[in-house]
Amino acid sequence: MAAVFRAVFGYCFLVLMVRVVGRRPGKQMTPFDFVLVFFLGGLTLTPMVGNDRSLINALTIVASIAVTHFVLVWLKQRFPAFGRVLDGTPLVLLEKGQWHQRTMDQLAVQDQDVMAAARDKGLERPDQIEYAILERNGEISIIQSSNKS
Amino acid sequence: MERSASSSHQTSPNGVPAGREFSGEIQTIMASTTINKPVEDSIAKVNDEIAVGSDPDFQRRWLRFEHGLWAVFTLIVVLDLLGFFGRGYMAKGTARTNDGTLDVQYDRVERYSTPSIMTVQFGPSAIRDGKVQLWVSEGVIKSLGAQRVVPQPASSVVGQGGILYTFPATSPPFSAGFQLEPTSPGMFEMAMRVPGGEEVRRKILVMP
Repeated sequence: MAAVFRAVFGYCFLVLMVRVVGRRPGKQMTPFDFVLVFFLGGLTLTPMVGNDRSLINALTIVASIAVTHFVLVWLKQRFPAFGRVLDGTPLVLLEKGQWHQRTMDQLAVQDQDVMAAARDKGLERPDQIEYAILERNGEISIIQSSNKS
Repeated sequence: MERSASSSHQTSPNGVPAGREFSGEIQTIMASTTINKPVEDSIAKVNDEIAVGSDPDFQRRWLRFEHGLWAVFTLIVVLDLLGFFGRGYMAKGTARTNDGTLDVQYDRVERYSTPSIMTVQFGPSAIRDGKVQLWVSEGVIKSLGAQRVVPQPASSVVGQGGILYTFPATSPPFSAGFQLEPTSPGMFEMAMRVPGGEEVRRKILVMP
């Protein structure tokens, strides 16, 4: 039974940590961010498994995490406020030629990250971007300026 | 080539490709049970032109929460470095009896399933007839999970809510070490005494 509690606690703690440490997954993920993800995962795994190396323990832990994940997803769907807590909301990083510097500093997003997303769209300069939006999944969406030159 | 292509797309009288009538029925049933919801202007817009769904108020509140959480994380790291969660300076404790028979060095805070050593030093008055006897409470054995005693006792007798160990000892200083590995988290009591001497009794917190 303790394994179930450890698994649920470990999963929820990791969700919180990843949410707090930063929203830089997806394309914005650098090797530096990979270290964090693997390190956090590895460190959480050891106390969750404990000394019990049985197959049933592994199955119990996997099932516990699956159920916890399902419950969180359901809560997210049912209560939009909970979804905001878990995933955050989209944030505008660049708006009509103005960087939202405070938002970018708070989220540790640099203008190079925005330009990387812009280049994916075939844009070359910041003035060709109407809006850059950091999405809930960590991707940066680019809305092209209508007067692209 | 064209003929084979057209033969593979033969249709039934109702226009459904041959062999797909059954799946067509399912699609019809599903379509009839689909609940449609009109598109509403429910996503918050930026500059009244692009539906982003951002929530600056929520973001401000979340950042305040995050700052609080960072303070908590920093506090946890500092407390851990100081040893408040075990295995550090503040966790070390010493307990002595007034009659000088025992001097116990132990950890006030232990960690679940993590090995540690509790050292018991015996005073000269504890050595009698070339041997030392030490009674240790059951809590040390069961809850704190005493795995091994060094040196090996000559005998160990269960009784009086604990175990009475007898060690051969010729001259002071003499000490014994208990390798502990707590079996569950919680607050547990540790007690030990030399028969006829004062008792050492302390509470030990085992962190999960």
